[in-house]
Amino acid sequence: MFEAIASASTLGDALDSVSVLVDECKIRLNEDGLAIRAVDPANVGMVDLDLEAGAFESYDADGGVIGVNLARLEDIASMANADDLVHLELDEETRKLHIQMDGLSYTLALIDPDSIRQEPDIPDLDLSAEIVVEGAQLSRGVTAADMVSDHIRLRVDPDDEAFLVEAQGDTDDVDLELSREDLIDLKAGGADSLFSLDYLKDMNKAIASDAEVTIELGEEFPVKLHYGFGEGLGNVTYMLAPRIQSD
Amino acid sequence: MGNAALRDIAALQTVSWEEVAGSVVAIDAHNWLYRYLTTTVKFTADEAYTTSEGDKVANLVGTVTGLAKLFEHDLTPVFVFDGGVTELKDDEVERRREKREAAEERLAEARDRGDGVEAARLSARTQRLTSVIHETTRELLSQLDVPVVEAPAEGEAQASYMARRGDVDYVGSEDYDTLLFGAPETLRQLTSSGDPELMSLAATLDGHDLTWEQLVDVGILCGTDFNDGVDGIGPKTALKTVRKHGDLWGVLDARGAHVPNGDRIRSLFLNPPVTEDYAFDTDIRPDVDAAQAYVTEEWEVDPDAVARWFDRIEEATTQTGLDDWT
Repeated sequence: MFEAIASASTLGDALDSVSVLVDECKIRLNEDGLAIRAVDPANVGMVDLDLEAGAFESYDADGGVIGVNLARLEDIASMANADDLVHLELDEETRKLHIQMDGLSYTLALIDPDSIRQEPDIPDLDLSAEIVVEGAQLSRGVTAADMVSDHIRLRVDPDDEAFLVEAQGDTDDVDLELSREDLIDLKAGGADSLFSLDYLKDMNKAIASDAEVTIELGEEFPVKLHYGFGEGLGNVTYMLAPRIQSD
Repeated sequence: MGNAALRDIAALQTVSWEEVAGSVVAIDAHNWLYRYLTTTVKFTADEAYTTSEGDKVANLVGTVTGLAKLFEHDLTPVFVFDGGVTELKDDEVERRREKREAAEERLAEARDRGDGVEAARLSARTQRLTSVIHETTRELLSQLDVPVVEAPAEGEAQASYMARRGDVDYVGSEDYDTLLFGAPETLRQLTSSGDPELMSLAATLDGHDLTWEQLVDVGILCGTDFNDGVDGIGPKTALKTVRKHGDLWGVLDARGAHVPNGDRIRSLFLNPPVTEDYAFDTDIRPDVDAAQAYVTEEWEVDPDAVARWFDRIEEATTQTGLDDWT
């Protein structure tokens, strides 16, 4: 059993954060809220999302799992205005999701959850640095790096207490240095890892510019990017595997 | 190359690349290389892989093409090269040589006629693994940090042995003989464009209620690289008669038939010459720039024929996966 009413913007934010990585996902309809965990087919980027029951106008579920085509669901959700309410109801018999908003109703055929990639295990990470930064700052670094390279290096200089975003192209280089004053918070530790911009760009798209992003970073380790949405009742954690740095 | 009659007996199942991702595969190097060599020759212009001294190194193009594919599917290859040719295989080697010579004659004729299509087709058939091909393939694999194991005799036998010891997850070969060599699981079609096919020894034996020894006997009755089959025995008859008479000798007695060197052929599958003296590192860190220079500068391969494959190798081997941390 599942029936819920959510604001179109909260629903849209949740779907966007997952659809940048995968086309299909399982949604866990837990009693205390929705949960989605998915990894891209190459096993490089993962998303772990929780949307608490409190983020909905009303929410009623008893722990089922549904499989959805995200592009379809996003298309439907985009038919609503940001402050419209979207009504969702699962028909257990037909395995379809009824979606209604402002007079428009849509019946979405669900996907067999068993046919969707297994939900990944969360990697066990030892990340020594934690940087809290505004979404807009991170976005600036990603956009600038993308002008010169396919890869982006994120590191923390523990002595200077600064977060550094760097990219080296064939001819041009980009450096963005954010000192403690530029950041919301910094727990400095030795951290230096290289990432594919293809993935980071996509993740960055889902992060609002005024979001507080917590970046957990290690030495040649995956990075964790964490941010909240839906007035703090929604939480997204991205994990992105590093590239091997050549000397 | 093995006996396709075994296909009727083998337990085969199509698997997705995802299911086998992350595994280590002992690849029958000759089998693999030969396939890429023939496709390269068919689809790439001669000039792209012929040096100014006339050496043809289509193997270098084929190897980078094939490696990119393996790496992108997150498979770690260990290439197992043949050692000496087993004496009993002389007939098979001779047969292949005759075929090739016939193709070479027709190739010359096709070229004289100016029939480019037929020439390309025949030229793919006349490929042989020359010493230049052997040396340059090994050197390229070494530059790309891909592990290589030298078998004392048959590469398939050595690869199957490594899989039986659990040192690799699968054998990679198109040849059904790996079943007879006792490989627990063989991945076929690693070189084709679709999904791979998994061949399981245990499922094959269970399915036909046979022991491994009996399966080898079935193989010998149908014919192997080392012997011609017994006249009038196909896979179905072989299965039935081995189950009825227990083993090869029982069947031969009952039929009054003879398989030359039957004893030796049997033990070539059950106890082939293999070595346990091998070691390999599955953490592959290729020096792509050096490998690319080796191929395009030292062996004068047209950079355009290999550039994108090298890019893909680089991309696939420098990006880690989250599963490395779980």
